[in-house]
Amino acid sequence: MNPLNFFWLFLKASLFSTGGLGNLPFLHQDLIGLGWARESDFVTALAVGNVSPGPTGLWSISLGYLTFGWPGAILALMALSLPPLLALFVASFYNRVEKQPGVQNFTRGLSLGVAGLTLTVAIGLAGSTITDWRGVVIGLAALGLALSKRLPVILILILSAVAGILIYGL
Amino acid sequence: MEPELQKKTASPPGIWEIFTTWLLLGIQSFGGGSSTFLLIHQACVGRGWLGEEEFVRTWALAQISPGINLVKLTVLVGHRLRGWPGLVAGVTGLLLPSAALTVLMTAGFSVIRSQPLVQAAMKGVLPATIGLSLAMGVTTAQPVLARAQKEGRSRLGLHLAILVGAALLMAVPGVSPLVVLLLAGAAALLLLAVIPVRAVPPVERAPDEPA
Repeated sequence: MNPLNFFWLFLKASLFSTGGLGNLPFLHQDLIGLGWARESDFVTALAVGNVSPGPTGLWSISLGYLTFGWPGAILALMALSLPPLLALFVASFYNRVEKQPGVQNFTRGLSLGVAGLTLTVAIGLAGSTITDWRGVVIGLAALGLALSKRLPVILILILSAVAGILIYGL
Repeated sequence: MEPELQKKTASPPGIWEIFTTWLLLGIQSFGGGSSTFLLIHQACVGRGWLGEEEFVRTWALAQISPGINLVKLTVLVGHRLRGWPGLVAGVTGLLLPSAALTVLMTAGFSVIRSQPLVQAAMKGVLPATIGLSLAMGVTTAQPVLARAQKEGRSRLGLHLAILVGAALLMAVPGVSPLVVLLLAGAAALLLLAVIPVRAVPPVERAPDEPA
């Protein structure tokens, strides 16, 4: 594994996307394609990112660690720290052009595109993760609870862990 | 309005205060972004560092640039408060401890993952993670779709078509996510200019219509 190439793949994924999971489709395509990560690494990293403190977007640091150890985690941290600096330029640029309807329409299209990508990749990961109907029920229940915004994410995950132990562990 | 409630903007905090504020934010917010967001809001607006309107605008700007939204929010707020030193203090405080904890939790998990009970728990957690990721996708689209709904049925249909189109295109092997995003943006740019916003809001039909 080439560290420079590894760093570039993580940097590119954050640079060309927005939001905590926007880099997921990029990393999934590149790292799986190169054979540097397995599907299970992605699902585990997403789970840790949801549980650990800080933004969910730190999931890619977990992925860096799973695929390339401590150097991978540090490279992933650097790769996700740099692109946000562009927000300063975007902010000053956007202040000048935001009144143009074309700009607003393009931005809307980007948001819809990000949502579409996230759905496809999440459904793709489900194929390797969910093995029976009980998994489907847990996944849908988590989706519903998250959308209702009644429970904090950490509680949803704790409930799902308890469900897993009750269903598969006893 | 009580005059005491109209807090005027306080003097900006020092570098150290920015660092410690974001440090505490970073390690308090277990379980994803929305709790972190609320804590940043409390810190900024609650202490009078930024007005509510400025905070909302900063949040909107953060969402259209590349990277993690909460990091971009921290970049913009830190820079606004104390320039580049403020920016570095905020981002370091937010990321360093939480990144270290993320790695430690990953490492800890790698050690215990072969335990049968842990494996059973993970068989529950992993499908839930998929559900949470789907929810994140839906949440990204929600504000845009809500606005589209007010603009008429054809505009809403077009928005949904772009979303579904992006999802389907991504399912084609070998298609780059960047291409999908650019096509989604271009489609919105061209088609939303053609389909007009409905000028008149929907009028409720009189009750003479059969229910």
